[in-house]
Amino acid sequence: MAPRRRRRSPRAWATLGRHALLLLFAGLSIYPILVMWITALRPAREAQANPFGLPIPPSWDNLANAWVRGRFGDYLLNSVILTVPTVVGVVALSALAGYGIARFRFPGRVLAFGAILLGLTIPFQSVMIPLYYQLLGMGLLGTYWAVILPGIAFGLPFGVFLMAAFFEDLPKELHEAGRVDGCGELRIFWSIMLPLARPAISTLIVFQFMRSWNEFLMPLLYLQDEAKRPIPLGLMFFQGTYTRDIGLIAAGVTLATIPVIAVYLLFQRQFVRGLTAGAVK
Amino acid sequence: MTTSASRSGGLAAGRAAARRRGRFKTRERAGLWFVLPALVVYMLFFGLPFLATLWLSFTDWGGVGWPDWTGVANYDRLARDGAMWHALGNNLIWVVLGTAIPVLVGLVLAVMLWSDARGSVAYRTVFFLPVILSPVVIGVIWGWIYNPLFGLLNTGLRGIGLGAWAIGWLGEPGTALYAVLVTAIWSYFGFCIVVLFAGLQKVDPELVDAARVDGAGPVQRFRSVIVPQIAPVLTMVTVYTVIGGFNAFDMVWVMTQGGPNNASEVIATYTYEVAFRGNEYGYGATLSMVMSVVALLAAWATMRLRARIA
Repeated sequence: MAPRRRRRSPRAWATLGRHALLLLFAGLSIYPILVMWITALRPAREAQANPFGLPIPPSWDNLANAWVRGRFGDYLLNSVILTVPTVVGVVALSALAGYGIARFRFPGRVLAFGAILLGLTIPFQSVMIPLYYQLLGMGLLGTYWAVILPGIAFGLPFGVFLMAAFFEDLPKELHEAGRVDGCGELRIFWSIMLPLARPAISTLIVFQFMRSWNEFLMPLLYLQDEAKRPIPLGLMFFQGTYTRDIGLIAAGVTLATIPVIAVYLLFQRQFVRGLTAGAVK
Repeated sequence: MTTSASRSGGLAAGRAAARRRGRFKTRERAGLWFVLPALVVYMLFFGLPFLATLWLSFTDWGGVGWPDWTGVANYDRLARDGAMWHALGNNLIWVVLGTAIPVLVGLVLAVMLWSDARGSVAYRTVFFLPVILSPVVIGVIWGWIYNPLFGLLNTGLRGIGLGAWAIGWLGEPGTALYAVLVTAIWSYFGFCIVVLFAGLQKVDPELVDAARVDGAGPVQRFRSVIVPQIAPVLTMVTVYTVIGGFNAFDMVWVMTQGGPNNASEVIATYTYEVAFRGNEYGYGATLSMVMSVVALLAAWATMRLRARIA
């Protein structure tokens, strides 16, 4: 083999420097998460003495304790119970409304669209006080619905915006063809438009899933029952209870992060498309 | 004969057209039925409470009985509420640093990924990882990194002989806000990279090469050729970070609850405290209105700024 003694060109040095910087930031992104997983596998005493150490041999006590004492199984279930109906509601209502706004010229259309788009910038804090009393009056406060229904309402501005933009881009002839064939409007929507909208819908599913899964303030205010807490809320109270036990906290973080990261790695492209949809369009 | 036939034909056609127009109108009205379900849910759980907030912001209300109408008294109090202005100032710091740093870092790294495709997918996978995590989880992770006694940061500082710098990052009034802000930036720069990278896919490499041939250096190519072409995406990222900065709540609440005292207080945590800890729902609603107005203004200003620059 020829000896590799060739001097690197300036260009090669530039490439090397570029990758060094990229690697540095990649390490910065991943290390805080990784170190929590590692710490979860070490006895707390050891982790306090040297937070940089490795789990040799790994100990599973923290994870077992966190699962039992921290009720992470319940939190996980609660998160699913809250997230799935919210996502279904947002997708169904947004697809219908987005289609209606993009394809029909009915009176009040601009007003309705404008009102919904206004919700894109208005923060949840702007409704949280009266909504508390409204939910109380409706008998929903403290039930899962107290987070699901407002969750759907807050998902609609982005959902309708996304679906309307998608249907706007579809050729008008499709709709006309359906009408000529004598299909009813609902039938056209269901059999022609909805199957075509699959890419936009999968984007919206991921976006809304992440939003609902990570929601914090809404359950903090409207779900004060400990047994109904979703993961973020559960983790916060868990941290408050075991402030000094880093092994246990790390185990809690591990249990909270592993499912999301696993799903992300499986559906990476959809995740990136979903979470950046608003900014890239 | 022929004329009458054609006339009656014409008439029939006209009537048919009118009928079609009529049907056209009813058809168009069908759109309302598509929009209605969303509109009802949206109005019930967003529109209605939003209007109620607007009304409450002119009242004094402790949560029981009927709110007392006090006119603009709350807004008057707002103008003289030092704690509110302090919190809003912190938001401003958050918005400026929390936008400039991740957008600049994101821009540089995105261009690097773009100009050298090797490993680009793997890098983006890793950069995006913090973006999918909940702010609460991130707050807990960084709360431990900043732990004064055995956190990563201080243990590391002591390890390299900088023990004097090892302070209680979240407990010191001088550093609490910035410690939380660093966490927010960490959670966010990957988003900027990935979005800007997507924007860069639309940049014409031939233009960049032409600039290189014309003798433009890397900085000049970056500033004069690449940036103008991704300006729309750059604006969107900026709008996102600015709005996010004014609404910041979760991370601050988990890490410091606005403390120590009110050193890291932002408008969202202050609103929460006034309303749900102080039971001042009227003034809390006024603060909520401030948040809406600020968010709307910020979005509008960023859009305008972009229109001016491009």
